[in-house]
Amino acid sequence: MAIGSRLRHVIESQQFSRPLLEELLDRADEIKRQPHHFSGRLNGQVMAALFYEPSTRTRLSFEAAMLRLGGRTMGTDNAREFSSAAKGETLEDTIRIVSGYADLIVLRHNEEGAAKRAAAVSSVPVINAGDGPGQHPTQALLDLYTIRDELGHIDGVRIAMVGDLANGRTVRSLAYLLSKFRDIRICFVAPPQVAMRDDIKDHLDEHHVQWVESQDLEAVLPQVDVIYQTRIQKERFSDEASYLALKGVYRIDASTMARMKKESIVMHPLPRVDEIAPEVDADPRAAYFRQARNGLYIRMALLDKVLA
Amino acid sequence: MSAIQQGRLKATVMDADQIRRSLSRIAHEILERNRGAGDLVLVGVMAKGDHLARRLADSLMELERAPVAVGALDIGKHRDDRHLRVPAHSGQSDVPDIDGKVVVLVDDVIHHGRTARAAMDALMDFGRPRAIQLAVLVDRGHRELPIRPDYIGKNVPTSDSERIEVLVTEEDGIDQAVIVAV
Repeated sequence: MAIGSRLRHVIESQQFSRPLLEELLDRADEIKRQPHHFSGRLNGQVMAALFYEPSTRTRLSFEAAMLRLGGRTMGTDNAREFSSAAKGETLEDTIRIVSGYADLIVLRHNEEGAAKRAAAVSSVPVINAGDGPGQHPTQALLDLYTIRDELGHIDGVRIAMVGDLANGRTVRSLAYLLSKFRDIRICFVAPPQVAMRDDIKDHLDEHHVQWVESQDLEAVLPQVDVIYQTRIQKERFSDEASYLALKGVYRIDASTMARMKKESIVMHPLPRVDEIAPEVDADPRAAYFRQARNGLYIRMALLDKVLA
Repeated sequence: MSAIQQGRLKATVMDADQIRRSLSRIAHEILERNRGAGDLVLVGVMAKGDHLARRLADSLMELERAPVAVGALDIGKHRDDRHLRVPAHSGQSDVPDIDGKVVVLVDDVIHHGRTARAAMDALMDFGRPRAIQLAVLVDRGHRELPIRPDYIGKNVPTSDSERIEVLVTEEDGIDQAVIVAV
């Protein structure tokens, strides 16, 4: 019965095979070129957005994606405070109830593993829109799409991941996806306090992805095709002093850009604070706002794949 | 069937723990029947059976403390319904040496038995096994060919208006077998 397999839940980056990734990226391309061809694809279908943790960009881009495909959305922004969770209802029960109303559930939760628990009891597909420090697979998909869209290829890419690599779930999810491609080289540029964790390094070793660690961004700049900058996450530090010590270590400004290749890009999952100077925005290699927009296309492709 | 019910899960027939226990039992049964894992090759039918085969091979290795060869089979070209529908999955077969070996074919679900027949056909392109055995996670009945699995995770009686879907963590993010309305 190997035939007829389809994408049901979206839980973690590792679950995507390379052919499925390519299918999704191609579909996102098609949607970007001719969005009107897809405007009625999900007529009459309903998406429930259950957000237990704040998020504007992810939530709005999912809602925009559903609306642009002709579907409708409903949801709650502070599921933790306002839903029955406040009365003590378990996540599992909430999911059982909501899956009776909607054709698909988009879930953002503060606990790692929540998406998997939800999928186990849901009668409709569940898409993980971030579960605590765990994963953010749709962000990784839009990052991957942006790399291909901007550079024209993924195989052979040299990428530097910069900043808070210990706490950033986006870089973790992206590393998992990149390990599905050939001849990838990743350079982790981070202060030792927030270096990339060993689980990702082990995974990359298993999949024969070359990686190195460096603390010298200047030296890395001329060698890479992608700088993936991240924010040092203030909320993860217990005291102000250790945050301030790391903040601003790897700032990207006009002089940084001058050392980068002509055919290269700067990405950032956003929001940024001051790790990328505003003067960089005007540089054509600054891809982060295009990257954010790509989130719409890849989420349309994903909803289409799961529901159409 | 109303539109709102289509593609919806009707019931979970196996959860992650049940799948884990079934695979573990099947691993033991394979060893018992073949008196060890000496001449065994596990070959999974893509796109779910290959993951199950890899897990069975891991269990066998743990039990026997010796590696067991494992492969994956794309049976697209051997299906008897290619004129009726385009295969949803196409991959590259990767089958180790099977000459003179006992091959355990592994698939997620057996229904009419036509996939198993195509898999045996496809396997013969790679050599001449001493014997072929068949392991499935779910047997939903309704056989149309004289084929009977040697190892079965669970028998699940179904109707024609239903479909069994097996989800595996490697591709779907979770382990689960469900009945879906079609």
